[in-house]
Amino acid sequence: MVVGIRIHGRGGQGAVTASRLLATAAYYDGKFSQAIPMYGTERRGAPVTAYVRVDDVRVRERELVHTPEIVMVLDPLLSTRQTMADDMAEGGLLLLNAAYPPEEVKTGGNIRVATVNATNIALETLRRPITNTAILGAFAKAVGWPKLESIEKAIRKQFSGRIADMNVEAIKRSYDECSEVIPAPVKIAGESEAIAVGGYGVLKDVSSWRVFQPVIDMDKCTGCKNCWIYCPETAIKWTDENKPEIEWRKCKGCGICVNECPVGAIEFKRVEIKNE
Amino acid sequence: MDELTITPGSACQGCGAALAARLAFKALGPNTIRHGVPCCPDSATMTPRGGGGVFEGGGAALTGTWRALKAKGITDVQVVGFFGDGGTYDIGLQGISAAAERNENIWVITKDNEAYMNTGNQRSSSTPLYAMTSTTPVGSVIKGKQTGKKNIPMIFAAHHVPFVATASVGYPEDLIAKIEYGKTLTGFKMLIIQSPCPVGWRYDPAKTIEVARSAVQTGIWPLYEITDGEKFKLTYKPRELKPVTEYYKPQARFRHVTDEQLAGIQEDTTKNWEKLLKSDELGQLLI
Amino acid sequence: MTGNKAAATAVKLARVEVLSAFPVTPQTTITQYLSEFAANGEIKGEFVNAEGELSTQVIVQAASRAGARTFVCTSGPGQLYMHHPMHSTSSSRLPVVMATVHRGNKSMQPDHTDLMSQTWTGWIQLYCENNQEILDTHLMAYKIAEDKRVRLPVAIGYDGYVLSYTAEPVEVPSQKSVDDWLPPYEYQSILPKDYDPATGGRGFGGGGRDPQQGWITHHEALLNALPVIKEINEDFGKVFGRKYGNGLTETYKTEGAEAVMVAMGSLAGTARAAIDNLQADGKPIGLIKLKCYQPFAVEDFKEYGKKFKAIGMIDRNVCLGHGGAGYRLIRNSLYDMDERPKVLQFHAGLAGKEVRVGDFERVGEKILKAAKGDKVSQVEWV
Repeated sequence: MVVGIRIHGRGGQGAVTASRLLATAAYYDGKFSQAIPMYGTERRGAPVTAYVRVDDVRVRERELVHTPEIVMVLDPLLSTRQTMADDMAEGGLLLLNAAYPPEEVKTGGNIRVATVNATNIALETLRRPITNTAILGAFAKAVGWPKLESIEKAIRKQFSGRIADMNVEAIKRSYDECSEVIPAPVKIAGESEAIAVGGYGVLKDVSSWRVFQPVIDMDKCTGCKNCWIYCPETAIKWTDENKPEIEWRKCKGCGICVNECPVGAIEFKRVEIKNE
Repeated sequence: MDELTITPGSACQGCGAALAARLAFKALGPNTIRHGVPCCPDSATMTPRGGGGVFEGGGAALTGTWRALKAKGITDVQVVGFFGDGGTYDIGLQGISAAAERNENIWVITKDNEAYMNTGNQRSSSTPLYAMTSTTPVGSVIKGKQTGKKNIPMIFAAHHVPFVATASVGYPEDLIAKIEYGKTLTGFKMLIIQSPCPVGWRYDPAKTIEVARSAVQTGIWPLYEITDGEKFKLTYKPRELKPVTEYYKPQARFRHVTDEQLAGIQEDTTKNWEKLLKSDELGQLLI
Repeated sequence: MTGNKAAATAVKLARVEVLSAFPVTPQTTITQYLSEFAANGEIKGEFVNAEGELSTQVIVQAASRAGARTFVCTSGPGQLYMHHPMHSTSSSRLPVVMATVHRGNKSMQPDHTDLMSQTWTGWIQLYCENNQEILDTHLMAYKIAEDKRVRLPVAIGYDGYVLSYTAEPVEVPSQKSVDDWLPPYEYQSILPKDYDPATGGRGFGGGGRDPQQGWITHHEALLNALPVIKEINEDFGKVFGRKYGNGLTETYKTEGAEAVMVAMGSLAGTARAAIDNLQADGKPIGLIKLKCYQPFAVEDFKEYGKKFKAIGMIDRNVCLGHGGAGYRLIRNSLYDMDERPKVLQFHAGLAGKEVRVGDFERVGEKILKAAKGDKVSQVEWV
């Protein structure tokens, strides 16, 4: 039986690499597989999508996966979006990178859900929020395949030395820390809103890009305008009170303003993920 | 000065080139026609755009636009090419050189991020010595790029055009002043803006300005302007240069560079700086 | 007046605003004439002596987009060199006019492979038989290209040496008559606002547009140009007293003919002489001149297919591994007919090989044999 998988992440989290590792591991399990990156330009921080198709016979079709049996989300903020469950097959499995148990997942539908805190695992094993391998172990646990050894073999084919060791550590922890798979607590899907995927031209709102965000201490601010002049996205407006004001839909969370503030008035805080 | 880039654009977090576009178009003002060629980020601006350009045709596209305006008696518009180093240093060089030789009344502004970043960090002739890119990887035999960066501003100075200058996103006032001065000139104007790329150069996106500044302060990317191919002025002159290691160390694209190689880079950088200082004293470009 | 002088004269008469060229044999003298016109102030437009053909094409493309009437000219290798921006000129729907002085890709001498190899760029392609036709076609080309129902670039092909450097009488219309007939070009984009020719109209970043839309509209635009070309040819004839068949194809002495040969460019002249001789001998064969190669006049050939028992296409080209370009299109046009005539293929004059009247007389006799039902070879290199 053919199984279609959709992977959501953002540029830099390794969604495309995750698709290749998964396809390779499935192949080592004796299956046939196909890893398909979404066409277009990939930008660091921008939401990206990749697809995997796994079958007992050679995969011959060349279309994208339109009704995935499994959806895997590498990013904790994207994990809160109903959009992730769009077009999923009935009874399909939604695996989220989330700091909360599956019982608290708000993404709804006639699907099953599981969670793993992949960002934490990645930060602790790789010391960076690259969550692709830190969720693959959980995939193996929740889905029942591919074998952990197969994923390890795929990782060692892709990476070498210390990097490979750290990633293998990440999949093992991820396997152990994956939650139970339960039916989605919310049965009726909420409103699904489109997410700006990277590409050429102008985007409407890049709020979903931020992992960290600037927080300005107005008492410390001297009004020097450094943050305003160096912001590549004009996300900082200057108010009549001679103070900066952040236009959130434009802020990608790069941290330049934090780094350039001469008096340290801007703090870079991890974006709090509201699971609403 | 109004903001003329349309944001948020599609650039990566902490993109130096997006900031270069923002600053340049702010200074150019609304009476500007922009030409782009495929490069990243493809910054959108509120100024009219000459579309459909081909990668190799930057200089010619600007020529065509300028000549059409001239034929119609419209001469107060800035015709501006905003290209990457691929479009200026490599595939588009021939046409830009020809436009410079004809002294077309155009701007060639280059956001130089020292590799083909749009397609995933492949080397360009602007990539510096030893830098790791996806086509100059660090292998067991060959480690990084084996040749240095093409000195494009000097090549264009040798065309004896009205204005050639370097700039950096780390020094916005200098960048804006150069564009404002260039706007008063008729003829070919070139501005090369060093624009750090956190993804390709491999550093934390928050450090873009820091990296850009250190390129200038170490003498790796000196800021200067050359008028009529002769008159030379350094626009940033520290009493003493910082050691090049300050620029090289934070960037993982140079991680494999040995101390010995760094010493060689230091020697070349110092030599070049002394030559520029001498030119600056004389007010005359020494080649 | 040589063919190249005729082209340059037409460009002057059309009051072209931005011109660009790079000298390449056998186009070189157009560039020289235009330089002279510019130097003497006879042309008020901007003349850019560019550093290569790629730039010449980009220069006129950008100038056309900025609202100027433009002209560019080239030959063989230069034509191939400017291939890439030819795509964006046409997909941006810019009314650039270009002269292609044919030079084959395997010699300095003419054949039509240079311009025909640009077929997939989607320009209108018009071929000329003599120097008068070169001048007239250039004037018509501006009117066709700039017509709001068309808005496509036009390439005018004529054979190098045979026409480019051969002098013959050409009637030059007065500047006033041209000014009256050809109004100034006013740029008005006909593309949808969000259509980006750089991405083939695909519009990265969503919008839900069919990614094939750029190709669909471009293809339809070419097909829609067919009646406009006919109409402008008629109109030109009314004003200047000369027209070229129906603008797409022209018949010569086909009255009572049982079969026809089809020729393009200067070979059509040689073919006329052969037809004269054949008919003097009582042989019932006529000529069809194919002037507009792209878009292709399918309906015209359907009519010819009904009238004649055999059609022999003389191609001054070969699409390697496929066959003659005109031959394939003619056969394709006739496929849906219940009763189809014989269609024979002749390749002639490639790489500038001299074609003599006698050659075409033999061709004519062979076509007539096929019309009678005799078995003859399908393909022949004359």
